[in-house]
Amino acid sequence: MELAIATSTNFLILSSMYILVALGFAFLFNMLRILNLAHGAIYMVGGYIGLFIISTLGLNQWIALLLATLIIAAFGVFLEKFCFRPFVGDFNRVVMVCVAIAVILQTAVNIIAGTKALALPPFVEGVFKAGLVSVSYERIATFAIGAALLGVIIWFVNRTKWGQQMQAIAQDKDGAALQGINVHRISALASFIGCGLAALAGCLMGAYLRLGPYMGDLMLIKALILVILAGIGSISGIFVAGLVLGALDAALPVLIPGAASDAVTVSIVIILLLIRPQGFFGYEMEI
Amino acid sequence: MNNNQLSKPATGNSKWTKPAIAAGVVVIIAILPLLLTSPYTLHIFILTFIYTIAAVSLRTIITSGQFPLAHGAFMGVGAYGAAMIAKWLGWSPWLTIPLGGLIAMGIGMLIGYPFARLRALYYAMGSLFFGMAIIYVIWAGGSWTGGYSGLTGIPPLFPIGTSKVPYYYFFLGLAVVSFLALYRFEFSRIGINLKAIAQSHLVASSVGINEALYRVLAVGVGCFFAGLAGAGYAHYTLVLSGATFSFMATLWLVMYVLIGGVNSFIGPIIGTFILVLIPEFARDLKIYVPFISAGILLIVVYIMPQGLVSLPQLIRSKFFERGKSEKVTNAP
Repeated sequence: MELAIATSTNFLILSSMYILVALGFAFLFNMLRILNLAHGAIYMVGGYIGLFIISTLGLNQWIALLLATLIIAAFGVFLEKFCFRPFVGDFNRVVMVCVAIAVILQTAVNIIAGTKALALPPFVEGVFKAGLVSVSYERIATFAIGAALLGVIIWFVNRTKWGQQMQAIAQDKDGAALQGINVHRISALASFIGCGLAALAGCLMGAYLRLGPYMGDLMLIKALILVILAGIGSISGIFVAGLVLGALDAALPVLIPGAASDAVTVSIVIILLLIRPQGFFGYEMEI
Repeated sequence: MNNNQLSKPATGNSKWTKPAIAAGVVVIIAILPLLLTSPYTLHIFILTFIYTIAAVSLRTIITSGQFPLAHGAFMGVGAYGAAMIAKWLGWSPWLTIPLGGLIAMGIGMLIGYPFARLRALYYAMGSLFFGMAIIYVIWAGGSWTGGYSGLTGIPPLFPIGTSKVPYYYFFLGLAVVSFLALYRFEFSRIGINLKAIAQSHLVASSVGINEALYRVLAVGVGCFFAGLAGAGYAHYTLVLSGATFSFMATLWLVMYVLIGGVNSFIGPIIGTFILVLIPEFARDLKIYVPFISAGILLIVVYIMPQGLVSLPQLIRSKFFERGKSEKVTNAP
C-alpha cells in the first residue's frame, strides 16, 4: 500500500514536471525549429537561482519561486534575440550555440555553488493523512502547481490571441507573417514562457529531489523523448507521452533495480519510435 | 543538416599539392616526440589522435544525410568489447583492437537497418536514445562490465613500463591509416551515392540507389572506426567508465566536427586539434577551462558560418577582395 501510493504520487509528479519542461522546449522547437539543447541547463539554473534567493537574500519561498521564474524567463528573451534568431534555419549552428550556452551555464554553477548536492527547503510542511493513506503536502503542492500551470498553458495556447498566433507560426511561419503576425515578438514570448516553465520546474524539482549542476542533462533527455514521441508540431501529444514516460519512470525502478530499469525505459521508447517513425501525433519534417 | 556538397575542383596548382601538404604535416607531427618529451604532452596528443579518428568517422555518417548522436556510445561499444575480450578471454590486444571495431560495426549495422526508417531529426533522436541504452546496459552489466565503478585490469597494448612514445606512433599510424581509408571511401562510388542520398533521398532512390542499404553501409563504416578508436582508448588508458562515452561525449564529438566544418574532410581533424589542445594548454585555469571551449564555439558560430576551414576564404574575401562580389556563403 505504502509502495503503491509512493509510486503513484511519483508518477503524477514526474509526469507533470516532464510535461512542463517539454512544453517549453516544444514551443521554441515548433515555431522556430530551434533544437534547444541548453534547455536542461536553463532548468538547472532556475533551481539554483531559486535556492540563491531563499538562502542568500532570505526571501519567502513562494516569492523566490516567482522571481526565479521571471529572471530565467527574461533570460529566455535575451537568448531568443541574440542566440537563436540569427541562426534560425541553420541546424548545425543552432546546435553549437546551444551547447556553448549549456557549457557556460553549467560551469558557472559549478564554480559558484560547487558540485555538492543541495536542496531547496520544502514549500509546504506536513503530511496529509487519511486512513492508510499518507502523502506529504510537499508532493501534493508540487503536483497541484504543475497541474494548474498545465491547465493555464492549454487555455493560453488554445483560447488567447497570442496562443493562436503561436500556433499559426508553428504551422507556417511565412504565412503567419503575411497575416500581420509579428513573428519575432511571438517567438520572444514563446522563449519567455518556455524558459520560465523550465525554471519553475527546476525550483519544484529542487525541493522535491535535489539540485546538482548536471541534473539538467537528464531532464533534457526526458524533454527530447517527450517531444519526439509526441511528434514534432504536436502539443497535445506531449501530455500523452509525458504520462507514458512518467509511468515508466515511476514504476520500472520498483520492479527492476539499478540502471537496468533505465535501459528498459529507453528501449521501450526506441521501439515506440520505430513503430511510428514520425511520432504519435505529429508529422514528418525535414530540417 | 543537408548542406553537404560534392567536392569542388581544386583551384590551380597540381594535384599533388594537397597530398604533399598532408604528408608534410604528418612528418612534422611524427618528429614532435623528439622535441616534446613530457609524458603529459604526449598523452594529450595520443588522446587527440583517438578523438580525431572518431570525429572523422562521425563525419562520414553525416555525409550520408544522417545525424547520429550515438557516436560516443559506439566508441564505448568498441572499448568495452575489446577490453572484455582481452580481460576475460585473454586475447592479445593486437587482435582485440580490430575486433572492437568489428563489434561496433556489427551493432551499428544491426541497429542501422531498423533506424533507416527514421529521417532527419527523428533519426538523430532515435540514435541518441540508443546511445543512452548502451550506456545504461554498461552500467547495469555488473561484474562483466564493471558497472558504475568502471572496468579495470585491461591488458595494455605494450608491456607495462613502456614510455608513451610507442603509443604515440601507434595511434598516429592508426589515425593516418583510418584517414586514408575514410578519404578513399568518401570519394568512391559509394561515397558519391551517399552524398546523393543526403541531397535528396527521393531523387536518389528514383535513379536506383538503394537508400536503406547505403545508409546502413555508411553507419557500418563510421561505427567501425569509432569502435577502433574506442578499443585503442581502452588498451591505452586501461580503465573504462561508462561516463566517458555518455551523451556529453557524443555531443563533444559532434562539436569537433561542426567547429572544423562539416563540408570538408579536413574539418573534423582541425576541429579536434583546436578543441582538445587549446583547453589543455590553459589547464592551469582548472575549473574555468570549459569557458574556453565554449568561447571557441561561440567565436566560430558567430564569425565563421562554415567552420574553421572557411577561415582562409573569409580572410581573403574580407581584406583582399573587397571590390569583388564574391562572399563567403552562408548555408546553401
